[in-house]
Formats: sequence, C-alpha cells, structure tokens
Amino acid sequence: MIEQTALMDIENLIFYYPQGQRPALNDVSFRVREGEFIGICGPAGAGKTTLSLCLNGIIPHAQAGRMAGSVSLRGVLLKEYTLPALSETIGYVFQDPETQMVSLTVEEEIAFGLENAGAAPSLIKERIREAVDAVGIDQLQNRSLKSLSGGQKQRVALASVLAMRPQVLVLDEPASELDPVGSRDFFQLLLQFNKALGMTIIIFEQKVDQLAPYLDRLLVLHEGCIAAAGRPNQVLADERVSGWGIRIPQVAEFAHVLAREAHFRLSEVPLTVEEGLSLIRQWKGKRL
Amino acid sequence: MNHAVLTVEALSHVYPNGFQALKDLNFQVRQGEFVALIGQNGAGKTTLAKHFNGLLRPSSGRIRIYGKETRGQKVSSLARTVGFVFQNPDHQIFHDTVAKEAAFGPRNLGFEEPEVKNRVKAALQAVGLEKRAEDSPQGLSRGERQRLALASVLAMETEIIVLDEPTTGQDQTEALEMMDLLGELNRKGHTILFITHDMALVARYAQRVLVLCEGTLLLDGSVDTVFAQPDVLSRTLVEPPQIIQLASRLGLQHILTPEDLVAELLPRRVAL
Repeated sequence: MIEQTALMDIENLIFYYPQGQRPALNDVSFRVREGEFIGICGPAGAGKTTLSLCLNGIIPHAQAGRMAGSVSLRGVLLKEYTLPALSETIGYVFQDPETQMVSLTVEEEIAFGLENAGAAPSLIKERIREAVDAVGIDQLQNRSLKSLSGGQKQRVALASVLAMRPQVLVLDEPASELDPVGSRDFFQLLLQFNKALGMTIIIFEQKVDQLAPYLDRLLVLHEGCIAAAGRPNQVLADERVSGWGIRIPQVAEFAHVLAREAHFRLSEVPLTVEEGLSLIRQWKGKRL
Repeated sequence: MNHAVLTVEALSHVYPNGFQALKDLNFQVRQGEFVALIGQNGAGKTTLAKHFNGLLRPSSGRIRIYGKETRGQKVSSLARTVGFVFQNPDHQIFHDTVAKEAAFGPRNLGFEEPEVKNRVKAALQAVGLEKRAEDSPQGLSRGERQRLALASVLAMETEIIVLDEPTTGQDQTEALEMMDLLGELNRKGHTILFITHDMALVARYAQRVLVLCEGTLLLDGSVDTVFAQPDVLSRTLVEPPQIIQLASRLGLQHILTPEDLVAELLPRRVAL
C-alpha cells in the first residue's frame, strides 16, 4: 500500500536565530493533509511565529539563522521554491494586518499580488470580486485602507491572500485585534472556506477557547517542541496544556475541576456549552 | 458607601471628523471599586478612558476627579491623581533599563532621588520585577512589559488606576498573573477601572461592570446582574462567559467561575 502523500511535511525541524543559545524550534515534525483545518497554539515564546515563518518559506529564504530538518510542499522542499512562487502557493496572513498592506485602497491592495504575478486585468477584476464577496467586504471595495477598523483590515488582508487562490492558508494570530464576536465571525469564515472550498488552513492562535470547536486537529507548541497533538477535545483533556498558559474553553476548565473533585478520569473535554451540558448529563446519569 | 472618586457628568465626545464617540454618559466610580469597562470594538471604551488622564477632553459635559473638574488641569497634573496603563506597553516604555523606566514618573513629579529609589523598589516588587531592575525592557516578555508599564504607574502612587486591555496579547498564565496583581492592589485600597474583551476575567475579578454600546452606557451593575441579561448585551456584541451560559441552561444563578459551578453540582462536599 502506498501512503497518501501529505500536502505539507515538516520533518525534524530545528531552528536557531543568530546568537540564539537555545533552539527556537527543537525537532518539530508533523504532516498536513489536504483539506485539514489545523490550529497551532502555545504559550508566549513557545516558537509559534518562528514555525509559521518556516511554513511560508520566509525561514530560511529571508531570515538568518541555522536550520536543520525540512519543510516540503507536495514532496518539494520549500527552499527549492523562490519566495514569489511560494507567496502564490502558500497564502500568509500576518498578525498585524498593516504589516502586509502596501496600497491606498482596498481594491488596489487585493490586486497587488496578482499584478505582481503578471495576471491579466480581466482576471484581476474577477478575482477581486470573488475575494471581497468571500470575506464579506464588497461594500468596502473603494474605501481607503486608512479609514478601516482593525477587523475590516484583517478581512482585507485575508481577501488579498485569497485572491491568489493559494493551496494552503497560514495565519499568524489573525484575530488578535478583534473582539470576541469579531473573532468568532472570522473563525467561522475560515471554517466556511475550509468546508466549502476544501482549503487547507493552518492557524496560529492564542484564542484557543474560541477556535477549538472548529478545528480538525490542534497542535501544542511548548519550548520549541510539539508537546501534544490530536483532536481538540482530546488535546485539551491533557492537564499539562492549561498549565502551560493555553487559554482553554471555560467549559473545558469546568470539566477539569469537576473530574478532579468528583474523582473521575477525562479522556475528552467539552468545548462548547452544548458539549458541557451533555457531560453533566452523562456524569449525573452514570456518575462517571 | 465610599465617596465618589470619579464622576462623569453628561459627557459627550465628538472627534474632529464629526464622529460622536461618547453620548451623554453619566456615572460615578467610588473609592475602592474594581470596575470592568466592556463593549464591542468601537463602542467608546478607550475614548472614555482617555478622558481620565486628559489625553482627550470633553466636547460637552464634565469629569470630576476627587470632586475637582478636569477642565483646565494639565495632563501632567492629572497624572498625579490617575495612573494610566496603555493597551500596548511599548507605547509608554522608552528607557533602557527597567528601573529607569519605573523612575521616570516620580522623577518627573520632582521627588528627591532617595524617594524615587524607594518608590521604584516598591513598585517593581509589587509587580514581581525587582530582580530585573537593571535589565533592558526589550528583553522582557509582553506580559512582563505590561507589568513594567503598571509599575511605572504604581511608582506615581496614585490611588486610581485605569488600564486599557491589560491582558491583551498575553498567554493565559500571564493574563491571570496580571489580574491577580490588580486584585491585590484593589484589596490594598486602589480603585481600579480596566477595559477588557475577556468576559471570563470580568466574571472572575470585577465587582462592577460598565457596558458601553455606540457611545452610550447600556448597562451598569454587578457582574451577576449584567451577565444575566444576554439579550441586552448582544446589542454591543458581548456574550456572557461560557460558564454563565452553561449555568443558566441548568437554571442556576450566581455562578461566575467553573469552580462555582462544580461547587453547586457537588453540594454535599465537605469544605476542607
């Protein structure tokens, strides 16, 4: 039997920044399958941004340091690609949307990558329309970027990446400037892309409490290593994870306290209010 | 009831572009209160907070601090009465060591060096950075830099402390450390008003909640009463924390934290 090739393969990745005494990433390995929605979380300083830069090729293409191990896309090492080629294949949304903005208006911003890639004007127009529709900013198309709120800018950043129709979408804490309802809308939008278009998504996020219910798989980075990985319900049942400063859903926190006080073992934790209710019903029924 | 330290009367604020960010706000904060200021992005939270340190001035209405109107008082003089911690600590940190940063405020107020030294020592101790006094602020984590920003304010020894999103961008461990610290300062007598989007922290730490919606005061009350009104809160895109939603589905009231709910479900447990 031939094993299905992973879309992305990260193998034994080690990275030291120049002058770094300790590795920022210390033997990280995982595979990303086509169509997966993966979340990567970790406490401050765990290596999240470093790993995200390895996934879009900025490391090693544009960031100095010592790297060992490999990152490949469909079997080809990222270092074999050029950065412009990578930016078309792997869409990257920065934590601060202003970092990536180069234009004056929303429309120009979304067109920028396509123009750079030499796309025909008619194609650019079509892609802009698609992208603004997809992220729900068609009303803003002619607005100046300066006049937008943080949440609107975040959506423009996403639209300009989507317009390139990347094979993989990597996002580094895209919801950090959004309020809770704004973040949830943003995560639901990503889920929609993932489900409706089969887009592979890797999101680095601290707001695990809000993101977890949407994910196929959650990876936890701790001190440069993948310390836990699996379905979010299972990963967050590991008590070490909340001890590392990960913001877990409050109902999961509740499950941990209940299990401790009522002396039962948790193999999974609830992530939503509904799942919390069913845990309580189960526990009352069976006295777990 | 304690005396009012902050009084907001018919406060409105219109930005130069014509946008009215605050509309006829009226409320008081009393000495020793621990108040959360919540509401969706753009509701006016930061605009309101900036009126307490004079960075913004009322378009109409007034603010009194200890009964004295802020009109005509300079930012530097307000800094003696209200400590203000910005959302992004990097906007207020600009010295090359932790100790110098914390010393800036009291030095500026004209205190003698021995007094400055004492205040810096006490402030850094309060935020757990006493061992980092000679380090560069750049070597601190985001959470530590946020605590340093708080230490610089503590060194001014103001009784009232206003914080704009003191836990944003921090992991949960750092966020809880910051909130525990604020709780401790509150028990020592500081009046604290903080802006946040984290409803779980509001439920765990605050005594009173002010809810802003499009520049008006939508709700003002105890954590319990405010979170018992999800329909009203939804007008400013706020949802009660998960645990309160779960408790309310079970018909339970006065639950604020996961521990509260477990205690409710395990009623016969003997307290240790």
